Amino acid sequence: MGTRVLIAEDEPHIVESLSFVLDRDGFDVTAELDGESAFARLRVDPPDVMILDLMLPRLNGFEVLKRIKSDPALRAIPVVVLTAKGQAHDRRLAEDLGVDAFMTKPFSNQELVECVRRLARK
Amino acid sequence: MPHSLISTRIRERRRALGMTQSKLAATLGISASYLNLIELNKRSIGGALLKRVASVLGMSLDELDGAAGRRLLDDLHALAADPRLAGLGLDATGVHDLAGRHPAWARALLVLQRSLVDRDGAVAALSDRLGQDPHLNEIIHDVRSRIAAIRSSSEILESVDDLEPRQRQRFVAIIGDESARLSDLAQALGEFFEPARTPMRSLTPAEEVDDFLFDHDNHFPALEDAADALRGTLPLDGDLDAGAVTQPRATQRFLAARAAVLRFGDGRVLQAEVDAAPRLTSDAARKLAHRALSSYLAAALLMPYAAFLAAAERTRYDIEALCQQFGVSYEQTCHRLVTLRRPGAEGIPFGFMRTDPAGFVTKRFPLPNLLLPRRGNACPLWAAYTAFQAPGAIQRQLAAFPTGDRYLFVACAIEKPRPAFPMPRRLVSVMLACHALHADRTVYGDALDLSSSAPWVPVGPNCQLCVRGDCAYREEAAIIDR
Repeated sequence: MGTRVLIAEDEPHIVESLSFVLDRDGFDVTAELDGESAFARLRVDPPDVMILDLMLPRLNGFEVLKRIKSDPALRAIPVVVLTAKGQAHDRRLAEDLGVDAFMTKPFSNQELVECVRRLARK
Repeated sequence: MPHSLISTRIRERRRALGMTQSKLAATLGISASYLNLIELNKRSIGGALLKRVASVLGMSLDELDGAAGRRLLDDLHALAADPRLAGLGLDATGVHDLAGRHPAWARALLVLQRSLVDRDGAVAALSDRLGQDPHLNEIIHDVRSRIAAIRSSSEILESVDDLEPRQRQRFVAIIGDESARLSDLAQALGEFFEPARTPMRSLTPAEEVDDFLFDHDNHFPALEDAADALRGTLPLDGDLDAGAVTQPRATQRFLAARAAVLRFGDGRVLQAEVDAAPRLTSDAARKLAHRALSSYLAAALLMPYAAFLAAAERTRYDIEALCQQFGVSYEQTCHRLVTLRRPGAEGIPFGFMRTDPAGFVTKRFPLPNLLLPRRGNACPLWAAYTAFQAPGAIQRQLAAFPTGDRYLFVACAIEKPRPAFPMPRRLVSVMLACHALHADRTVYGDALDLSSSAPWVPVGPNCQLCVRGDCAYREEAAIIDR
């Protein structure tokens, strides 16, 4: 089984293209379209890397990140934030909460794949 | 009652009628020297004599001693106190002369000044609105997301050689769909900016100092080092030892510390910070900045960075516990908490605001995405204002903004020494604000439901900028009504 990646992203087209790219690169990809479902899945089936949007319905990405990084059983899961909220204060807040990587939309597929690969090796 | 306007008007009217002082005095049945004293504003005039003067000069009493005239004087005094006019030598005598001799010109000046103030307010509000507007933020967010989908799909089409026809068709369809949505967003963006005008900005010295502090994230490593060097070398050591003290005592210690830091190194450390700040463009701004930095250094002396940060984390940012431990006042403690921004050893990022009961903001340090008013009021629902309802009691509030951002507000109305007994109590409200995500690191987040589904208080930045059209607390129309 390949490296497992969980995508939490509410834009179906982005989920589709990301899944395609990661799948082709050998990753085992699952996706959730809102924060609560993503966190629920992560707790029962922890991935090797999580790709997390910030503007998610039901539970926003900052809160998902905070829950992961404040839970001793989950905090080791590397999280890359992939967001259209690219302002300095958003990045800073994510860093304060313990994010492992921060990428803003629009992004390059290749850069994202490399980032996920790097985090999976951690 | 101000009589200077009356005396000037009597003199001007008498001269306009070609009447000598002696003649008017004789008509009124008073001595010429007494009339002269009245015209020089050295004797007051009222009652029957004022009525006789009005009658002889063919004026109504209101013309001589009207409320409109007093308002004119008050408004001109307020105009003369505008910091932008400092240094022009506008004195009280000139105000009385202008209002008395050229009331129409005085009113014209006030009309222009009010117009300018309104424009400044509109420009500042528009500028703030661009950063805070949830509609604009949403458009920008959507644009980025659409472009992300297009870019990702086009990269697949470009770089994957062995795509099946069905897959190729799917990613082409995504690009087409997202491009259409992007066009709609471009249209919405154009409509948003259509009524806007290019903002211009005028800064007062106090605003220059605000910006100078923001540029440094309200943290000055050289001053922290200076405080460490100064501590222990002071003759005031005994006085500066931490310990439980009363608030006035805390103020005395702070003033002693500030006096000490002003003497330290002949003031070179403070002056170096001020001199290295190109943003401070006037002597007035540099003087204000010097004062602000001397307070910073005094605070750093009384509340050593590492010890204070450790205590803050240990007490979970309990302001009163920190006051007791370091022998400082509530406000000094709050202010020091805002300066804990040393890279690698940062405390919770706090915003700070101090306001008087009239809503005048006397000190502020905003957070990157939390707008605090430069002038005028913030939202009346903020804890900074509700704290006046129970002076001395700490109010905590979970505040939700229209942008979706949520903050914990912690405010307390504290009493300052009043000048003398008959004067009213002097209260100021001191408020700290931190992002909701940090609330659980503080004692003020205890026993509160911090989840996004909890009933947070729906606040805004202020009425002008707020998009909550149905708010019962609205006092002013939004500057952009959508």
